[in-house]
Amino acid sequence: MATEEESTVKEPLDLIRLSLDERIYVKLRSDRELRGKLHAYDQHLNMILGDVEESVTTVEIDDETYEEIVRTSRRTVPFLFVRGDGVILVSPPLRTV
Amino acid sequence: MSIGGEKGSASTKTPADFLKSIRGRPVVVKLNSGVDYRGILACLDGYMNIAMEQTEEYVNGQLKNKYGDAFIRGNNVLYISTSKRTLAEGSS
Repeated sequence: MATEEESTVKEPLDLIRLSLDERIYVKLRSDRELRGKLHAYDQHLNMILGDVEESVTTVEIDDETYEEIVRTSRRTVPFLFVRGDGVILVSPPLRTV
Repeated sequence: MSIGGEKGSASTKTPADFLKSIRGRPVVVKLNSGVDYRGILACLDGYMNIAMEQTEEYVNGQLKNKYGDAFIRGNNVLYISTSKRTLAEGSS
């Protein structure tokens, strides 16, 4: 019975639990995205991520042509504590798709 | 006495009952930012945290991303709506 409960998704946080020690994708507020290995999390979605790639997307409007200039800056961080209130979406590695 | 009385066993009575009844159905979840997520509702909890499958992310009506599984933190949710459209038709 216990093994069955470990592998099923009964509440949304189970999805996060099943992603422990896997690389996940995290979408944060202010157009930030993280990809990293999930080491720990709690009910607030505070997370410890390892080997993180952070990408920040900025959109600037050209003063003269009014064209949108989309810039993505990336950096890597060995370890990151993420405060849960910034989290919008968490996606585990693709299993089926 | 429950809200909505005893009649109509098929109809939902409270928001929580509605949320329970739509598990496994195709839904549209709109966030406060205006971004839409279309997919199959796997489950949800009291914070309105949502687990979805076969999720498609729409920004300004345009498909931007797909996720096999997705967890959406409840505080970002504006509404959850059931959609009749299947995933294949949903991208049209």
